Amino acid sequence: MSSADLLNQDFGSESEDDNFNPAPAGDSDNDAAGDSDGELNVTTKVNGTSQRRQPSGQRNAGEEEEDIKEDGIGDADGVGDDEDDEDEEDDDEDEEEAISGRPRKRARRDPRNQFLDVEAEVDEEDDGEEEDEEGETAGFIAETHPDDLGDLPEGANTDDRRHRELDRQRERAQQIDAEQQAQLLREKYGRRTANTADPVTVPKRLLLPSVDDPSIWGVKCKPGKEREVVFAITKRIEERAGTKNPMPLISALERGRTMAGYVYIEARKQADIHSALEGIMNVYPRSQVILIPIKEMPELLRVTKSEQLQPGGYVRIKRGKYAGDLAQIDDVETNGLEASLRIVPRLDYGQNEDANAPMVDGGIKGDAKRKRQGAMGLTNAAVRPPPRLFSDVEAKKKHMKYLQQMSTFDKKHWQYLGDNYINGFLVKDFKIQHLITENVNPSLEEVTRFSAGAEDGTENLDLSALAATLKKSTANENYLPGDTVEVYEGEQQGVTGKAISVRGDIVTIGVTEGELSGQNIEVPIKGLRKRFREGDHVKVIGGSRYRDEVGMVVSIKADQVTLLSDLSMQEITVFSKDLREASDSGVAGGLGRYDIHDLVQLDPATVGCVTKVDRESLRVLDQNGSVRSIMPSQISNKIEKRRNAVATDRRGSEIRTDDTVREIGGEQKQGVILHIYRSFLFLYNREQTDNSGISVVRATNVATVAAKGGRVAQGSSSGPDLNKMNPALMRNGANGNAPMAPPKSFGRDRALGQTVTIRKGPYKGLLGIVKDTTDSEARVELHTKSKTITVPKDTLGFKDPLTGQSIDYTRFSGSRGRGDGGRGGFSGSMGGATPGREPAWSGGRTPLPMAGGRTPAWGAGAASARTPAWSANVSTARTPMWRQDASSTNTNGGSRTPAYMSSTDGSHTVNPYADGSRTVNPYGGNTSYGGAPSGGARTPAWNPTATSSSYSHDPFASSTTINTNPTGSRTPAYEPSYRTPAPSYPTPNATGSASNNRPYDAPTPGKDFATAPTPAAQPSNGYANVGSTPAAMGGAPTPKFSGDAPTPFGGQPETPGWGAGEDTSPRYEEGTPSP
Amino acid sequence: MYFLYELERVITLHPSFFGPRVKEYLTNRLLEDVEGTCTGQYYIICVMDAYDISEGRVVPGSAVAEYTVHYRAVVWRPFKGETVDAIVSSVNRMGVFADVGPLPVFVSNHLIPSDIKWDPNATPPQYTDNGDQVIEKGTHLRIKLIGTRSDVGSMFAIGSIKEDFLGTL
Repeated sequence: MSSADLLNQDFGSESEDDNFNPAPAGDSDNDAAGDSDGELNVTTKVNGTSQRRQPSGQRNAGEEEEDIKEDGIGDADGVGDDEDDEDEEDDDEDEEEAISGRPRKRARRDPRNQFLDVEAEVDEEDDGEEEDEEGETAGFIAETHPDDLGDLPEGANTDDRRHRELDRQRERAQQIDAEQQAQLLREKYGRRTANTADPVTVPKRLLLPSVDDPSIWGVKCKPGKEREVVFAITKRIEERAGTKNPMPLISALERGRTMAGYVYIEARKQADIHSALEGIMNVYPRSQVILIPIKEMPELLRVTKSEQLQPGGYVRIKRGKYAGDLAQIDDVETNGLEASLRIVPRLDYGQNEDANAPMVDGGIKGDAKRKRQGAMGLTNAAVRPPPRLFSDVEAKKKHMKYLQQMSTFDKKHWQYLGDNYINGFLVKDFKIQHLITENVNPSLEEVTRFSAGAEDGTENLDLSALAATLKKSTANENYLPGDTVEVYEGEQQGVTGKAISVRGDIVTIGVTEGELSGQNIEVPIKGLRKRFREGDHVKVIGGSRYRDEVGMVVSIKADQVTLLSDLSMQEITVFSKDLREASDSGVAGGLGRYDIHDLVQLDPATVGCVTKVDRESLRVLDQNGSVRSIMPSQISNKIEKRRNAVATDRRGSEIRTDDTVREIGGEQKQGVILHIYRSFLFLYNREQTDNSGISVVRATNVATVAAKGGRVAQGSSSGPDLNKMNPALMRNGANGNAPMAPPKSFGRDRALGQTVTIRKGPYKGLLGIVKDTTDSEARVELHTKSKTITVPKDTLGFKDPLTGQSIDYTRFSGSRGRGDGGRGGFSGSMGGATPGREPAWSGGRTPLPMAGGRTPAWGAGAASARTPAWSANVSTARTPMWRQDASSTNTNGGSRTPAYMSSTDGSHTVNPYADGSRTVNPYGGNTSYGGAPSGGARTPAWNPTATSSSYSHDPFASSTTINTNPTGSRTPAYEPSYRTPAPSYPTPNATGSASNNRPYDAPTPGKDFATAPTPAAQPSNGYANVGSTPAAMGGAPTPKFSGDAPTPFGGQPETPGWGAGEDTSPRYEEGTPSP
Repeated sequence: MYFLYELERVITLHPSFFGPRVKEYLTNRLLEDVEGTCTGQYYIICVMDAYDISEGRVVPGSAVAEYTVHYRAVVWRPFKGETVDAIVSSVNRMGVFADVGPLPVFVSNHLIPSDIKWDPNATPPQYTDNGDQVIEKGTHLRIKLIGTRSDVGSMFAIGSIKEDFLGTL
């Protein structure tokens, strides 16, 4: 069998490619050859043409046929290689002769030719019978006068041959047309060819190579250069055809990637290979040459579909500066060897170059240098510049001379350093073997670089190309045991079952339905598809852009499955191969760092809520309501959900996360609050389809529908304000009824270092020392065992420094609070008269402490009484002005205004007095009393206020009882206060001389202060406080007197007094003790 | 489908509730805690009775007591393939949302007979076959559940009306 046959045979390759089928009878030789060229991944039929030509040429001479025949005989006889070799040598000789058209042989054989049935032999040579026939006829025509041959001169003979060659060329041209026609017909009636394939199958076997056929050797070559080698061989064959020394090779082929590093050469003898490949680059015939066993020859020609690179697709570059970079295919050369790629260039525009180098040694040196840099870039990825679009501006800075504009009308086409840059991309030809074309897996980030090039800034991604690339990259379909599959192709079509095992391309399935039920059958993967039913809960896997979506199947059409995504409630359609059954529960969350519904910071002024998580990108609804698609890298950070974030709705009710709200006006959006960000609310509503149910509204535009946990929504419309219904709280509400603020303590926690008992919890009853505190908790070192525990401060029992009684923290710290207040006042007064106010102020604060202090007094006395008083005090008293107010208005509030203060420092002091007096009042005769003393001692203005206030104070009245009590005890305290303000003393005096004394004595001011202020202390302290520091007074008094005295007097008078009596600090102490 | 199901629940009780009426209190707590909830698999519709309340056991380290309460409850579990009646809660281009009691069901437009078409221009928007079948908010539908999904504490289903005897009532 001749060599060409090998190529033309159909070895039953798995692909049913018609083209590769042995050419049906009508097919010409060329056709077959051409086809095989096209499809065999790599096969380049080298010798086909020459071979074809040779025989035809020889046919004339009638030599080659004979040779071939001889060969055949020899082989058939099972003659060994040696013999074969001999034959080959003969062949060679003959061929040489034939080609050179040596007359001797021709003369000898020509006559024989007349008696030969040439056709029969031609058959063997090629199946292009027609051609041969024609050739034959031509031959005969030419040969009709063999007898004349002798007469003709030699040259004539040659001429004749040339004529015939010309004829043959024409025929060939015609045949090409015929081929095309045949092609068309085949395309049109493709099935018929398939039908006719049947008769062909029988001969197929006969067409298989046998020992008679030339052998195929595998020759090593440089990997990646296979194709070049084959081309080189082809070229050489063509060159040598018709010369003395034709190539003894029959064909050469390569198997590309599957067998990189080898070319396969069909030849009669191994020696031919050596001789023929002499001097061809990149092929190493001297190294090991492998003889392909005859059985494996068909395998060698099995066609694998070569992947076609499509312009627009993506590849990666294997080597060089751009190793690993994604590139977009711009164009593919028709020879399939090279492709023009668009790459985002990595250029440094000479920034890293030694500026002097080019100057010193001229361009060459500079070039060398650059090359070296380039080389470094190859090896050291860290050195290579980041990918950025080409910028001519940058390039002009240092490399003006290398820059050249390529086209006048296309301003974006540059040549720089020998490369072309179009629209910022480097456009360069690469050998395909230097590209990674499989498993490219472009990430969206990379891909967007290519899309960003659009002139108008719009991003137009060619998604289909991307999809194609992605699709190519995913491994075929992967089946897992347990998948429900269906056979849709082949004999078992329609069978459904569960995959039991998967091995390579074969899936064993246990049939679950139909006649075969219960059996296990093996099916090739390619005829399988996954099968789902409506309602199945599935997850998208694989290369689809919906990867990792989870949803329920709503409809199935062939292998396209539509599912309803759980998260977005959108319907998406994917191929069943991209699906896998998911468990019926749970929504698989997001990927990576960001999850759906997360609140993320996009830029300092913008936040957004993630509405969709894709593989590479996120969809975000920002606070302005616009939706954007961003990449995770564009997110600066994720904002943790603030559980206790609060906003107010349109009606002023408090809203928190997880509340249900409805937008007023607008689109009436309703939803559960996911996030509160400043004044924006991100709502989630399952029934809303856009943005995965997320919307953004302003807090001021919504009304509460339902608060989580039934929290009472406050506000006009939603339920009564229970606070207002509490008569106790409402007392004196007129004067400003802000609920009492919790006591605040400043400075060092008084509890520190105290010996305390623990009154609750597992450590109840144990004694310890407070080592450290926070707002609500204390670290207590136990006496019993060396252990430090953390307990709430409330559960601590403190020892009252005076009485030794156990008191709780509020009370304890309360006393201290007073102190604070006092101090404040104190310092203020120190500053000066005016400052006096300040003290007053602080004094005012004292009330706060008072609040804290309430505990004792308060509880006992009357919350109500104090509160009001307190509040009153607070509001009025605290304002520095209050004094003034006082003067103007009898009421507490008035008196305290700073004006008051301003009136006179002295007066201030006085005031305190006044206050004191007031306080006193409660005690004693009150009005008159207070009035008198105060009046006397103090400025008149003062008096009025004092008196009036004290009198007028309801608090007073209400609290009287309490006050009295306190008074009694407090007297001392009282006194202290007096002392401070010397002037004020009088008042105190009035209250009780004894008390006065005490204050004086008592005196550690600091202490007093501390104590006095706090209301808690008040009852007793209160007095003291009042007396002592104005500030304290403010605080203390109020509470104690609770209402009455406190307010007015309170704060202020003391302050001033205070100031005067800076020393008061001692008082302070006194104060403390007094309680 | 409805079931009478025996369940148990552990209730912890603060000491302040210890007293003669503790059983009563436990029962109330049980009702409050359990009725109308969804386990992810089924909905507890109604507690029939608490037939076994264990003795309380004080949890070490805290004062609360634990009671194990066995109770019988009517539960409803939606099944794939079950036919249910629902009330449409919203309608959009993608399909119809309907509520079967506590269970939201989505009927995709793929699963609506092809002659019933989405008409966005009607007010309110509706699916209609231009005859007597109109699906809009509030319409009563008979739906066949074809898939259910359970999340923690909630369920979701998709349904079909693309079969005989399904659709508007």
